[in-house]
Amino acid sequence: MSDAESLDGMSTVEVRTSATAALIPTIRAVASDLAARADFDLDAISDLRMAVDEACATLVDAADPTSVLQCRFLVRPERIRVHAEVESAKPDTVLSTDTFGWRVLQTLADDVEVLHQAAAEGRRATVGIRLDKSAGDVPR
Amino acid sequence: MSDAAAPDPFGVGLPLDTEVSRPRPGTVLLEVDGEIDTATAPRLQAGLDEAMDAAHAEGSHVVVDLTGVTFLASSGLAVLIGGARRVTALGGRLRLVAASRSVTRPLQVTGADALFDTFDDVASALSAEASRPSDAEASRPSDAEAGRSRAADARGAGASGSRPSHAAAPPPGVAPPIGGVGR
Repeated sequence: MSDAESLDGMSTVEVRTSATAALIPTIRAVASDLAARADFDLDAISDLRMAVDEACATLVDAADPTSVLQCRFLVRPERIRVHAEVESAKPDTVLSTDTFGWRVLQTLADDVEVLHQAAAEGRRATVGIRLDKSAGDVPR
Repeated sequence: MSDAAAPDPFGVGLPLDTEVSRPRPGTVLLEVDGEIDTATAPRLQAGLDEAMDAAHAEGSHVVVDLTGVTFLASSGLAVLIGGARRVTALGGRLRLVAASRSVTRPLQVTGADALFDTFDDVASALSAEASRPSDAEASRPSDAEAGRSRAADARGAGASGSRPSHAAAPPPGVAPPIGGVGR
């Protein structure tokens, strides 16, 4: 996330958990809470919660078991951007986008992207997912 | 079964319960309560398999009661879709009971709702005549077939797929591969 994004006056919430499926419900709850407070319509809240779950589950599956799952929410009026990331199990781990789960994620989110970052000095390879969700179809 | 292997940081076990019962002759009811996600989808699969095996042996219909489900992830959707296909291959329709947004929204936004007969409450599902389409399905007679054939075409292409409008037809490529979710 660029400095310009984080300085435009909107709220950022970051959640870090062990990369385990048992803790994804907690991250879902944060997504629901933020969407509800941002006045998302009920369908958009449901979609964001499900999209965040899908992204986190995909990443936990690809993660090194000792990794942290890091999930950042950038809350703006009318839109929430989510950036989730884990250290990958192997240096050449690639997230598949030819899965049912990925197609569901594309359906739920307005925009979704896979991010791969190679290992570097003092830093392990990571895989991440960035997604955007708007507050709803009803004009405000 | 993955239950034993999955770490449980809260020490309370998986938050999903399933129960198979026979509320009346000719019907096997699977009641599901809790959250259906990656961790609990295997439990849903086991319950659905048990219900379907029993129904197949008895010549009964399966009704899946999802009114107690508070979250439905794609892994859960895949289990339900697999069940629908198994029932459809035998000439029937899988019946779901779902009224809360947690379940109806994922079914609707992915177009998977075309694969089921969905009811607002258990009583309606139990009293429905065999193979009668639900109100929603009656207005979209060929979408289930169209969705499956498009899904088969798009399956290997990794199509990006723009976000669908809330139209009648299921979006292409959303139905899972025959062999499973394949994450």
